[in-house]
Amino acid sequence: MLLTSVIIVLREVLEAALLISILSALSVVHGIRRGWIGLALACGFVAALGLGYGIDTVSNWFDGVGQEVSSAFMQFAIYIALALMLYLLGAPDGHGQRTTRMLAGLMTMIVALAITREGFEVLVYVLGFAGNLKYLLVVLLGSAIGAGIGISIGALIYYLLRSLPRGPAHGASLVLLVLVAAGLVSQASLLLIQADWLPARLPVWDSSALIAEDSVTGQLLYALVGYEATPTAIQAGFYFGGALLMLLVGTGAAFRRGRNSVDKGET
Amino acid sequence: MNVLRRALAGFVVLLVTAGSAGPARAGKPVFELEIRNHLFWPSELVIPAHTKVKLLVHNTDPTPEEFESYELNREKVIMGGRKGVIFIGPLAPGEYPFFGEFHPKTAQGRVIVE
Repeated sequence: MLLTSVIIVLREVLEAALLISILSALSVVHGIRRGWIGLALACGFVAALGLGYGIDTVSNWFDGVGQEVSSAFMQFAIYIALALMLYLLGAPDGHGQRTTRMLAGLMTMIVALAITREGFEVLVYVLGFAGNLKYLLVVLLGSAIGAGIGISIGALIYYLLRSLPRGPAHGASLVLLVLVAAGLVSQASLLLIQADWLPARLPVWDSSALIAEDSVTGQLLYALVGYEATPTAIQAGFYFGGALLMLLVGTGAAFRRGRNSVDKGET
Repeated sequence: MNVLRRALAGFVVLLVTAGSAGPARAGKPVFELEIRNHLFWPSELVIPAHTKVKLLVHNTDPTPEEFESYELNREKVIMGGRKGVIFIGPLAPGEYPFFGEFHPKTAQGRVIVE
């Protein structure tokens, strides 16, 4: 029971923690004050409570697949926010006040949504043991341990990114961001397949011989970039399409920034 | 910004249309699974190959359980006393294990695809 709760909470916390680390590192690189993190955490927890409380109602939407559809919707919202962020990071006005505020706002929204998604699952799990004090204590302990491990891994990634010089830190964060975004949108497509809103065929490949989904590496990669050992064509399509779109947005923004610098007579 | 707003609106319309295409989804075989005392009943489910099927999971325990399977690529929390709908497949013939993530040592089962 202890180990189970550690693993369950670790998985959920890890997904949110990684996103928070990458965005925090980007904040530092771009001089965005990190007060937004506290606000995002608070909003996320409140929303997670709300979703956990209303899970019965939500589950019954759309003929019983309300959970999947709302989760997928949140993933798509995060993706769009990440794309907007990527665009703004390459914007020509080089982070004037307005851009900085918009970036902070987008980051707040992204983290709040991520925490809502992961938080409500942890909440539902823990509250399921509310009636059984003996189990509840074990589960709370396991959850604390799992959360601690997840946060530690997130902190590790953050400090790894921060240890790089500004240019590579920016570049590495953006690469991770593109992969995270692709993973999110591919996960969303999987949810819609589960809900039968999208069709499915047989998986197009099976890489479980290379990296098994239930191995430690597999779980880590799943949390970070949405690794799937047996994706269907639609999932793979969303992944590569999602990554491609982000790359296009990033390239477009960098191009505009470069051109603007030249116009201004800078090098 | 205008383009973005229109793209977002178009996307929402797409989702809603996909969601309301109910009749197109009718006719998928339905299989029932029960979660009782942190166990799956039946623990083995036989479904046809290459067919998307609808799993109706009824959690008769008072506490929530999460139906999860790496092989099937599915996971869903089902509250105590509630039913959940999960679509699986199409699948190639074989065996696909699943488990209850909240009680993985007892809640185990597999889908046998023939």
